[in-house]
Amino acid sequence: MSVVLSSHPVEETERRNGKRLSIPISVALSLAIIIVVIAWSVAPGLFTSYSPVVGVPAQKLLGPSFAHWFGTDHLGRDVYARIVYGTSSSVTSALIAVVIGVVIGGLIGLLSGFLGGWTDIVLARLVDMLLAIPSFLLAVIIVTALGFNTTNAAIATGISAVAIFARVMRSEVIKTRQAVFIEASFILGGSRWYILIRHILPNASRSVLPLAVLQFGLSILVIAGLAFLGYGDPPPASDWGLLISIGKDYLKWPWLVYAPAFVTIVTVLSVNRISRWLRKTN
Amino acid sequence: MNRSYLDYAAKRIGQAVIVILLSYVFTFIVVSVLPGDPITNVLRDPQNGFSEQEIQQIIAAQGLDRPVLVQLWASLSQFLSGDLGLSMRSNRPVSTLIAEVLPSTLVLATSGLAVAIVLALVIGYGTQFLPRRYGQGLLRGFPSLFLSVPNFVIGLVLIHIFGFQLGLFRVINADSFWATFFAAVALGIPVSAQIAEVLIANLDHEARQDYAAVARGRGISQSRLFFRHLLKPSALPVVTVVALTVGELLGGSLITETVYGRTGIGSLVQRSVTTQDLPVIQAVVSLAAVAFVVVNLLADLVYPLLDPRVKLIGTVKPRPATGDDAFDDRVEGIPS
Repeated sequence: MSVVLSSHPVEETERRNGKRLSIPISVALSLAIIIVVIAWSVAPGLFTSYSPVVGVPAQKLLGPSFAHWFGTDHLGRDVYARIVYGTSSSVTSALIAVVIGVVIGGLIGLLSGFLGGWTDIVLARLVDMLLAIPSFLLAVIIVTALGFNTTNAAIATGISAVAIFARVMRSEVIKTRQAVFIEASFILGGSRWYILIRHILPNASRSVLPLAVLQFGLSILVIAGLAFLGYGDPPPASDWGLLISIGKDYLKWPWLVYAPAFVTIVTVLSVNRISRWLRKTN
Repeated sequence: MNRSYLDYAAKRIGQAVIVILLSYVFTFIVVSVLPGDPITNVLRDPQNGFSEQEIQQIIAAQGLDRPVLVQLWASLSQFLSGDLGLSMRSNRPVSTLIAEVLPSTLVLATSGLAVAIVLALVIGYGTQFLPRRYGQGLLRGFPSLFLSVPNFVIGLVLIHIFGFQLGLFRVINADSFWATFFAAVALGIPVSAQIAEVLIANLDHEARQDYAAVARGRGISQSRLFFRHLLKPSALPVVTVVALTVGELLGGSLITETVYGRTGIGSLVQRSVTTQDLPVIQAVVSLAAVAFVVVNLLADLVYPLLDPRVKLIGTVKPRPATGDDAFDDRVEGIPS
């Protein structure tokens, strides 16, 4: 598997020379899954002919079959169609959460690591404070303050992830700041802000990418949790977390829980695999 | 107990106090921008049946007619003197409300942690001694699998299999042994992933050391090698990871208690959030932050005493310019 391959000296050299970037099978599979998920969220109508909202009451609670891959729910709606149409909301909200985390957290980490001194001390305590409040509880109180819907759940999840990005960004900035080329740029007359934007930001951002990907998967889980507790969009929305939440009242027909749960787990697992691969190849 | 340790301890305690105060202020700010006015939302809700006079009394008692900054100052000084205020809904002391449900959550959280530690140890043992062809690779994938599953799904699957199919417990009877056991498993599985990840990395590191080779050469048994030699140096750094999972356990209990229909801190938060009972939300979140900070402070203070290999940074001057230790002057872990 990939672990064995990457420790192989020949491949190491090849990668360093940039001749060939081999992708382990598990990563290729993960990428394929993510592409399908993205396609679901962009054009759900291409993947199913059933409506996610209007059901056929005569066909309620049917088990999985060729006609209904994931069965039907208590209103006779196709569960697969509900999942496919719910993808866009689940994926977009996770994306919003990651962008908020990366931008705010990255900015805090950048300033904290680059300016140092009192700025660093003050920002460090603020980040500690964000870490001290259990992140799910933090997301819950922020979504309460903003109002219950999926976009606000995404914002709350993003804010609860700020601290992690701030920490990583700061340590990367400090590492980069000591590099020789930064010194060279300074001697050549580059201003502090020029060096920050031109040299430190791009170099420090590199290791933020795998973390952002990892956080994307985690955000899907947190937003699903918030939707599960009823803090997201109300039905007939079909976010994955909401589908599982509805399904929990119909445990006699377990596919109502297992199908959306399966899709969520496979997606997050693929995202995590890609993140691990990115971290290794970086 | 040398001077540098005392310096380190004083510094960490000071930081902890600042973080607790900040988190109280932060929660207050978030909670007081809640949409709508708590007075109209809660007190004037006809379902509550407060008379106008009672409403005025509550407003006066809660100090809701004062400016926000004055309210913050009053509330913070109250909190510091150990008074958590009155619930806006039931007018009972928040401390009583919390004390009523705390034991149930403590039972759930500690048994969840116990499950997580046992599971992490089993996975750790397996990764060292399970032959490759019997699925060692699979076992190594467990932590990342556990981290990909929403914890309410684990709870529901356990209810479905053991409650519905095998009839081992009824969810209606939330405090029965099996219901508590499976709730603890659901809570513990994602937490075990974080512990196992660090434990496995440390075990792998220790297993490559010379002393492990010597021990193997002496012909000692696997379990003796694991428990006598590998486990201690690998598990010590895990102390700080376990301390970090306090937040996970508290946040996770919110969901697990909902899934299993338990009353506890989680259900209290849920109820207060939907009814906008601000003093209760404020108190629970601040106490959660206090719990997290205190447990982590203890872990950071005890750890250097347990493990003579760590060197204390933040007391050494000039400060090593590695930037590896993020943000604070925590104990530097063992290089691996």
